[in-house]
Amino acid sequence: MNIAQATALALALAVAGTLFGRRAWTLYRLLRSGKPAARFDDVRARARAEATVVVGQSKLLQRLLPGLMHAAIFWGFLVLFPTIVIAMTGAVDPRSTLPWLGAQGWYALLVDVFALLVLIGVITALVIRKVQRPARFKGSHLGEADLILALIAGIVTTLLLWHASQIALRLNDYPAPWAPISESLSHVVAPAAPVLERVAVWAHVLIILSFLVYLPYSKHLHILVAAFNVYFGRTRSPGRIEPIDFERPEAEVRFGSARASDMTWKQMLDTMSCTECGRCQDVCPAYATGKALSPKLLIMAMRDQLLSGASTPIVPNAVSDDIVWDCVTCGACVRECPVGIEHIDHVIDLRRNLVMVESRFPEEAGTMLRDVDRTSNPWGKPQAERVQWAEGLGVRVLQPGERAPEVLFWVGCAPAFDERARKAAISTAKLMQMAGVDFAILGPREGCTGDPARRMGDEYTFQRLAGENVATLNGAAVKKIVTTCPHCFNTLGNEYSDFGGTYEVVHHTQFLADLVHEGKLAPMPSEQTITYHDSCYLARHNDVRAAPRELVSAVGQAIEMPRNRERTFCCGAGGARMWMEEKRGRPINQERVREAVATGAETLAVACPFCTVMLDDGMRETGAKMQVFDLATLLAEAVERRRALAT
Amino acid sequence: MSVLILTDGSDASRQALTLARRFGDPVHAVHMDAVAPFAPDSLAAILQQVADELNAAAVFAAGTDRGNEVMARLAARAGLPLAANCVAVTPGAPAALTRLRWGGSLLEEARLHSPRPLITVAPHTVSIEEGPEPIDVDVARFVEELDERDLLVRASDHVAPQDGGVSLTTAKVIVSGGRGVGSKEGFAIIEELAGLLGAAVGCSRAVTSAGWRPHSDQVGQTGTKVAPEVYIACGISGATQHMAGLKGAKRILAINSDPQAPLMLNADYTVTGDLKEVVPAITAEIRKRT
Repeated sequence: MNIAQATALALALAVAGTLFGRRAWTLYRLLRSGKPAARFDDVRARARAEATVVVGQSKLLQRLLPGLMHAAIFWGFLVLFPTIVIAMTGAVDPRSTLPWLGAQGWYALLVDVFALLVLIGVITALVIRKVQRPARFKGSHLGEADLILALIAGIVTTLLLWHASQIALRLNDYPAPWAPISESLSHVVAPAAPVLERVAVWAHVLIILSFLVYLPYSKHLHILVAAFNVYFGRTRSPGRIEPIDFERPEAEVRFGSARASDMTWKQMLDTMSCTECGRCQDVCPAYATGKALSPKLLIMAMRDQLLSGASTPIVPNAVSDDIVWDCVTCGACVRECPVGIEHIDHVIDLRRNLVMVESRFPEEAGTMLRDVDRTSNPWGKPQAERVQWAEGLGVRVLQPGERAPEVLFWVGCAPAFDERARKAAISTAKLMQMAGVDFAILGPREGCTGDPARRMGDEYTFQRLAGENVATLNGAAVKKIVTTCPHCFNTLGNEYSDFGGTYEVVHHTQFLADLVHEGKLAPMPSEQTITYHDSCYLARHNDVRAAPRELVSAVGQAIEMPRNRERTFCCGAGGARMWMEEKRGRPINQERVREAVATGAETLAVACPFCTVMLDDGMRETGAKMQVFDLATLLAEAVERRRALAT
Repeated sequence: MSVLILTDGSDASRQALTLARRFGDPVHAVHMDAVAPFAPDSLAAILQQVADELNAAAVFAAGTDRGNEVMARLAARAGLPLAANCVAVTPGAPAALTRLRWGGSLLEEARLHSPRPLITVAPHTVSIEEGPEPIDVDVARFVEELDERDLLVRASDHVAPQDGGVSLTTAKVIVSGGRGVGSKEGFAIIEELAGLLGAAVGCSRAVTSAGWRPHSDQVGQTGTKVAPEVYIACGISGATQHMAGLKGAKRILAINSDPQAPLMLNADYTVTGDLKEVVPAITAEIRKRT
């Protein structure tokens, strides 16, 4: 053992440890100052997420080349982790190593192979960044990324050089043939080996320590916190929004986020986890159509505001009003994010503060908020008109005091009041009648679920409506609900349980697909080609993807759009955008319509009243001739077709 | 006990006078045009000085945009609460008042704890009591010179709306075009008819999406809500979004080639046909008769 080198190492460790520790402690204290978030339950689901998303790199591998690149570096570092200790031991005394592991041939082989893989990963990353230059990096700190890649390359290069010179000097504790790369390199470095052995191991150790110090000051902090962020991710449906507890003492009620200090610790962890990869930006419909919002830049702005310690309001200092209102809450960003950032929660909390505290929101949405509050539907129609769509259909309207039948058909505001969306409600009712389903509607006792108010940030109105609806539903002892609206579906199924309403909620596409399976409906497919547009609140927030496709195959010939299933592209109506003017960028609905038209299909099938209206508008606006139909309407036609043939 | 009122000669000002009389007598007036051009801080300064001088029991103003603004500034200067949009006031400690909330949909009964109630009166809500005695005004100068700082905020210029046309919100007749109009240029026939009728030009969301008309022309849920005597809808299908802005229309005339369009089904009068023929025909007929 060399006293001088041992002292040097101790000194280096102390300096790096202090610098790292101070910053880490600051960040930890910041997290502890965050507002509470209930993210400690359901350990099993959290462990599963950790295994697939972190260890399995599932989200990163959705994009093959960058995914493999990252996986090579990530898995490489898992394998190489013990070499840090081995190198430090070796830095003090070239002849000593980690007991047992340092002498294992198989481990030497693993280190050799993964060191090479990391190096290949770094080169791939550089090719992606310097040659491909994908647009998703726009706005990211590119210089920082280059420095980090250089440090990683430095770490593995010095490791290989050290191993090679050790083998040349016969200082290796493992059998040399087990490390073929280092061994072949050893012949090249042999002449300089005595010096190189010391230089390489010290360079290796010092680069690692510099990396450690740099980490918590950079976007590369994600390697320390992302694993935690994924672990503490939501385990319940991504479509559910965390309620505000208005029962708490007034001073403790958090009306969203006004300042960075209002964020929950999970939201703070979100911002620290962001590595600026831009996958969210790449899939964001608002960003894709030239609007102010980029989910990546939003999270970066929140992080900068948090770390700067500024106590100024987030909006408009760090994030503009436009950014807050551009979001359609489609969840594409959340689903894509490899480190478990929940962008929608940030947007909703900013909106809650703007709406409930500042009373500041796009003026035109005020009508919707007022009408939802006063008349329990967004268009201010009289409740008595809720049953108009069902006139002459013989649909049973459940009266006060009566118990609900097997199925309650929750119609929703749009299908009840909107001319175009109405067709889906009529078709669904007729199909259920044909299949002999025992069902009823609530008629004038049905109210808006509150979804648009909640997504606007008006949590108070939402909770009032939720309370009223839950009282009605529980009063009728409702067990099972079928609805044609994915927004009602999400709210009833995922959010009402927070307010005492627990029901089996089924989307009409699932219910109708089951009826087809059971042979209670016998559609006859036609030759017409159909492309199906997944609603965000079905395919992404609630994993309903198979049933609508079964219906498409049952009525015609399916053609998929490039962006389908969980990677669908929003119609532009979500997040209460239905009630706001799209003043910035290009219309989202037209973007989606062009994608549908490009498939060459004759019909665009949808399963959501808002998608129906938005995409039908888009067709008219772009002059496209494609027809937009709800799946229920297409199924009703297909059933009629079979009947006509039989008679 | 004296009362002070800020008046601009409008109906709302006279209603303010009506309510103010319940508070006491005599009533003194400060005229809006005491400072011209309009400078709200100066008026607030004058009101404050005069109110102190007269030891006014209350200060009333018309609940117009300007009246509310001046009173808000007075309230801030004096550190007193302001009750806006009142329709009834009973003097007392505290004063009991009724005021309009939520855009006129709600009447609020409230109590105002204040040594000097500051009150603005909601326009068009209180009927003016018969023959209020004209106030005998001694023209007195209470304020010799205004502070420069109180003149910082003042009206510098008046700009008329760009087109100078009839406003959608107050128009008695609206001629509105939808996607059926076909193009930006297609609105020429709509504008011509509107011009003849003294009507405002409106449009549907599809038209603003296409960039044919500005958003300020849009009628609907996310545009302007209108309440004309007659709404003439040309080539508008009548999406729910559009219909939501039409609830106040007394009569609807729809012109559309599709008789099943929702607007046709909801209209009082319909013409099934191409608006490019129907609208010029109506225009020609009006010209013939006038």
